[in-house]
Amino acid sequence: MLEVDGLRKAFGRATAVDDVQLSVRQGSVFGFVGPNGAGKTTTLSMVAGLLRPDAGTVRVTGIDVWAEPARAKSRIGVLPDRMRLFDRLTGAQMLYYTAVLHGLDRTTAVARADDLAVALGLDGSLERPVRDYSVGMVKKISLAAALVHSPAVLVLDEPFESVDPVSTAQAVDLLRRYAAAGGTVVLSSHNMDLVERVCDTVAVIVGGRILADGTIDEVRDGRSLEERFVELAGGRVAVEGLEWLTTFSA
Amino acid sequence: MVDHVLRLKLTLLGSALRPGRGLLAALAVLVLAGAVGTAVIVLALAVDPSRADHRAAVVVAGAALALGIAVAPLSAGLGSALEPRRFAAFPLDPRRLAVSLAAAGAIGVPGALAVVLALGLVLAWADEPTSVAAIIAGVLAAVASILVSQYLVAIGALLAVSAAARRAVTGVARLIIVIVLTAVAVTVVSIIDGSASEALIGTAALLANTPMGMLWAVPGSDLAGLLARLLGGIVMVGVLAVGWVWVVARLLEAPQRTRTRTATIGLGWFDLVPATPAGVIAARSMLYWARDPRYRAVVLALPLAPVLMMLALAVAGSPLPPLWLLPLPVLALFLGWFAHNDAAYDHTALWVHVAAPLPGAADRWGRCVPPLLLGLLLLPPAPLFALWSGVDGVLPALLGITLGLLLTGLGVSSIASALGAYPAARPGAGPFDQPPTLGSRAGWTQALSLLATLALMAPALVAALWGVTEPAWFVVAGIAGVGTGIGMLLLGIVVGGRVFRARAPELLDLAQRS
Repeated sequence: MLEVDGLRKAFGRATAVDDVQLSVRQGSVFGFVGPNGAGKTTTLSMVAGLLRPDAGTVRVTGIDVWAEPARAKSRIGVLPDRMRLFDRLTGAQMLYYTAVLHGLDRTTAVARADDLAVALGLDGSLERPVRDYSVGMVKKISLAAALVHSPAVLVLDEPFESVDPVSTAQAVDLLRRYAAAGGTVVLSSHNMDLVERVCDTVAVIVGGRILADGTIDEVRDGRSLEERFVELAGGRVAVEGLEWLTTFSA
Repeated sequence: MVDHVLRLKLTLLGSALRPGRGLLAALAVLVLAGAVGTAVIVLALAVDPSRADHRAAVVVAGAALALGIAVAPLSAGLGSALEPRRFAAFPLDPRRLAVSLAAAGAIGVPGALAVVLALGLVLAWADEPTSVAAIIAGVLAAVASILVSQYLVAIGALLAVSAAARRAVTGVARLIIVIVLTAVAVTVVSIIDGSASEALIGTAALLANTPMGMLWAVPGSDLAGLLARLLGGIVMVGVLAVGWVWVVARLLEAPQRTRTRTATIGLGWFDLVPATPAGVIAARSMLYWARDPRYRAVVLALPLAPVLMMLALAVAGSPLPPLWLLPLPVLALFLGWFAHNDAAYDHTALWVHVAAPLPGAADRWGRCVPPLLLGLLLLPPAPLFALWSGVDGVLPALLGITLGLLLTGLGVSSIASALGAYPAARPGAGPFDQPPTLGSRAGWTQALSLLATLALMAPALVAALWGVTEPAWFVVAGIAGVGTGIGMLLLGIVVGGRVFRARAPELLDLAQRS
């Protein structure tokens, strides 16, 4: 469903993503984990067609994202991390805007926006401008915007950061239902418990390279995902030289 | 009540003169005001009411300085302005507050200058039979200036909802004062060296029939005109006074009026446009032109460009009437040109467009709609400007060139904003905030897009110039302008759309770096 092959991106001299290979099958939820600066966002941006790779291919439902961007993008829903929205629009306007940009007609766009607002607990906030939203609410409206054109593949970068537990549970249910119906989800997260709970397969990226991938059970190898992740990321560095932190000032 | 507000005003004035950071600025303002006041008295004593050009100069300078006095309170910043809304929390009678505020407005530098200006009118006409009329007119004019300044303070306070907007209001007020002083200086110089008295008398005659200039023309009019203008002045001051009480009452009753529109029910603009990518992008674009300070400042400041240009050329000695042909084309040119970095104004929100499978041309079309609508507003007043210019048969050329510059500018901008985008101020930033790094690309894009527009329109512009000697060319220029405009807009949208599609990830990358 999603095939990534030999993906590479360098910013100046620093290689952010080095020869990344991924394969996500249809109807599964794929978790992408890695320490800060490991290349998660860079990889996901290239998968979603937002950042041009230096080398490699991305195929979504068999369509090459970088050769036929328009065809591919109508099949992808994106939630990028740390990008603005047109935040002077209200939530309702924002959803309608993305829906129409993806080719939906007026009635469908309005109806779907209402459905998503209820499903994600946004109803009641849709009349307010997005700039007045909290960080968590911005994530929720972005998720709704990514879903509104019912894409075959969802690419979500840190979708649950700053989202409250109730809304997270609601969103997770929604994603599981979407995957059960044949949708494919790629998400990145720092929350290992959540990844263990939600994802079918997982890949660990460190320093731009994939160090482990497979089903959750394969990757964690008998331990918890968090322990395995810390080990792959270089293990805990023994804290030395901070003796002063144990002598408390009066 | 009145004395409370006056005491507050005096305290505010006193605090401006206390030692500190503001003292130097306050002293500079005092020196400037003193110089202007002295100049008014000296010049008034030198006026010879029997000379037509002197009479005209009194009208022009009087009207200009009155305008300066009216905006003067805004130029000091709105930090401690006595505006009605500040008193909303107190249980006050609006009528008495209105009187108090107007009285307080008369105290201080603008009030003193208004009195000096009125005194100047009286002195200029002291030995003439109409000196009594001059006294009445002077008093009315001073009162009118102060009342108008109070209106402007109230409006300025309503506009200044953010720090950036406050700076913009102050900046515009200061700019108007500079323009006013320049205009007066130009008038005086033209009297001394005897040049341009025709134009001056024409301008004065025009002003004398407007509320701005009628009171200053009172003592120089024949009996019928004198009575009519005095009556007009009395009516004007009456309307201003009654209106002021009403405005104060309104502001006291509804102090939060500017803040009520936080919620939009339904989809707003989006309900009015077709549900197509180009349609919604146009609606979103209009919303940003209307609400984002970066766009708003340009829309407000744009009309100043032709004014400054006309002023500069008039100072340089070019005759006034043909200059009326400049404002509309200049506005159209800048309006079209301003869109040349529109994609960068979205900042990283551009991802919404990059992630969607929309045709590039739809993005380009949508962004063109707000400047296009604004630009179409330039066409209805064209006959008036053509008439004022006194050039026979110039209307088709004026219409065609204005439309052509706008459309060609938008076409060029459609390509430039995809090809030569450079970092722009972030959404929500003040109109005068600049991104940390601009790079040399900004200068190239700005210069090339302006030059390209002018170069593409060159045939039509040249034809319009030929029209000055052979009016038949005006029609040719008009047709050529419209033709070039439509062709270049369509070409720009198609080419710009392709470039945008191809370079969309790079544009997003640029936004992320800036």
